[in-house]
Amino acid sequence: MVLKLIREVLKVGQATLPYPFTPVELAPGFRGKPEYDPQQCIACAACTIACPPNALTMHTDLEQGVRTWSLFYGRCIFCARCEEVCPTGAIKLGHDFELASFSREDLTIRAEFRLAACNLCGAYFASAKELKHVLALLDQAGLPPEDAANRKALLRACPECRRKMDLPRVKPLVQEAFNGRV
Amino acid sequence: MLLTEEKPKIGQKYVDALRQQFGWSIQEEAWQAPDQVTVTVELNSLPSVVETLYYQHGGWLSVVAGNDERPINGHFALYYVLSVEGDEQAPESKREKCYFVVRTLIPPHQMEFPAVTPRVPAAIWYEREVRDMFGLQPIGLPDERRLVLPDDWPEGLYPLRKDSMDYRYRPEPTTEDETYEFIDVEGEGIVQVPLGPLHITSDEPGHFRLYVDGEHIVDADYRLFYVHRGMEKLAETRMTYDQVTFLADRICGICGYAHNVAYSTSIERALGIAVPERAQYIRTILLEVERLHSHLLNLGLACHFVGFDTGFMQFFRVREKSMKMAELLTGTRKTYGMNLIGGVRRDILKEERTQTLQWIKELRQEVTDLVAMLLETPYIVQRTQDIGRLEPKVARDYSPVGPTLRGSGFARDIRVIHPYCAYDRVPWTLTYKDGCDVLARTLIRAEEFFESLSMVERCLDTMPDGPVLTEGFRYKPYAYALGYVEAPRGEDIHWSMLGDNQKLYRWRCRASSYNNWPPLRYMLRGNTISDAPLIVASIDPCYSCTERVTVVDVRKKKAQVVPYKELERYCRERKHSPLK
Repeated sequence: MVLKLIREVLKVGQATLPYPFTPVELAPGFRGKPEYDPQQCIACAACTIACPPNALTMHTDLEQGVRTWSLFYGRCIFCARCEEVCPTGAIKLGHDFELASFSREDLTIRAEFRLAACNLCGAYFASAKELKHVLALLDQAGLPPEDAANRKALLRACPECRRKMDLPRVKPLVQEAFNGRV
Repeated sequence: MLLTEEKPKIGQKYVDALRQQFGWSIQEEAWQAPDQVTVTVELNSLPSVVETLYYQHGGWLSVVAGNDERPINGHFALYYVLSVEGDEQAPESKREKCYFVVRTLIPPHQMEFPAVTPRVPAAIWYEREVRDMFGLQPIGLPDERRLVLPDDWPEGLYPLRKDSMDYRYRPEPTTEDETYEFIDVEGEGIVQVPLGPLHITSDEPGHFRLYVDGEHIVDADYRLFYVHRGMEKLAETRMTYDQVTFLADRICGICGYAHNVAYSTSIERALGIAVPERAQYIRTILLEVERLHSHLLNLGLACHFVGFDTGFMQFFRVREKSMKMAELLTGTRKTYGMNLIGGVRRDILKEERTQTLQWIKELRQEVTDLVAMLLETPYIVQRTQDIGRLEPKVARDYSPVGPTLRGSGFARDIRVIHPYCAYDRVPWTLTYKDGCDVLARTLIRAEEFFESLSMVERCLDTMPDGPVLTEGFRYKPYAYALGYVEAPRGEDIHWSMLGDNQKLYRWRCRASSYNNWPPLRYMLRGNTISDAPLIVASIDPCYSCTERVTVVDVRKKKAQVVPYKELERYCRERKHSPLK
């Protein structure tokens, strides 16, 4: 038995790697830290809703008209949900997994986005890039020109003004539904 | 994609038998799946109903869930989940196997229920936990100490009640000291040996107290839950259904994926979602890959504890291949993060399949050699045979799970009893032994390892093509069901109830070790103190390493603290007893 064991040990030789002096071989689909491309990001917040550990957060300042997107690697679990839900491919998991750092700040990345103002009341309401993205999508949708124009006008207004714009159209419907009791 | 066809109900005969015996006490009957039924019983008949199912219809207690249903129906509810498998004397073909849930409602002005523990000992931990978490008093419970809540937790604050506290709230400690009362073992010459709070096989905290007479263990008591993380509360108050799958991955560092599948299937079953065939095969493959690494880890540790450290090194070297396999198939070595409600997130590609099959071939050869070497080592058998005996009677009373139970002669494996994923489509052989000792439990894991290899091969060869994720279903408020998986160390079971706000109303997850801890006391009795770490390692528990051990000498009436390292050394070398 002992002989067999010694033979096995000699046959195997050294099993460990001189890491960190040689790189570790990773599987092609390995999930490392998320790599972010602010150029692609439209600040739509899909990733911050999906993120299980709340590593991704979004703060909207309606006074200043700024939305801040931030990712704290200290909380990230490398699950790739952000990559899955991102509509523009702005966040993708890479192969990097060595995140040791001397300061918390080094583990945070942020991006600031301008908000769009309502073209009726002037209040900030949505990410400007997201609005632009949606308007561009509408152009691609091949709607009749009048319909498209109406929808665009609706989209440029804030939810509050949109509701007001809708009122004349909705009111008779409601009255009908409640037999004029409203 | 919903399952609408009517299937024959498995377990109807148990419901009928109960109606016959208990009459009006059986109030309501609801089926969550063809083999899953929840029966509401009148509060006072709870112990008799559970006892009847447990001892007359071959029931095993899987989990007990408390639930604060005051916002739904004005009551607290208790769910006793039993796997009912039919009379043990009856032939296999006559035994109907189903999950039978006994539900009872407790009015909020009463806050008491008759304890089941005096009739079915397996309920002991569950009833202590329900008492801690909901403030429901089990009347007649033989052990009224806290189980989950720390000693310095304020009286009257019950974390899982819907109106009690935010999940982020941390109350001020009410005391500086550990006030837990360990059992009192009287007798001439009995010494207490505290092990912990920090120690034995894994690096987690747990406080053991061994009562010894000379070198022999007379009795044992333990205090765990030093690292309770409040995951159920977190999931119920902060996370969405899909997010919880990633939390479930983190319940356990060994069987995380098993928890993940158990959670996902509980939701899928509650909603009647049909998971695509291919996704079921992928889940099966990954569950078995997880078993590979867990079994190799435990075999390695078995070597370590009997002082065969070269074997330990070799097992861990080979285990690396199973970790690489997980990385290749899921993108990470642990916490696979592969499930969403409705299926899996990632398919297995052709190159991945080829590489996995290659590694399986290599693993089979390498582990065969290592196991042969391990068994040829003469002192392995010497050190493990008849050590840490779990008598079949104790096992029957306490419902332990996995290799711990199978080592005591019971052929119970959830993969066979309640097949899930693709286990009913892959042929394999169940292993069980009747040695009742550490050796039997270790051998079972060695044999299961090879079965897992064949299962992964078989699944990779026969898995059908097609989609891997079902989407576009709607969540139904207050639907509930069970999800279950045979993890490497036994059944992991989750009971989930959906809420009306895209969050779980209640999530009860139970890891396999939870059922294996209570009978450990009986396994330790009668053994020598140098075997204690080996016995604890044989149930491969999820808890922490005991850094220090208090030894209480019953004869000299004195307590002595032994550093854990010293006890572990003594277990390996068996020379120079730390007690002298």
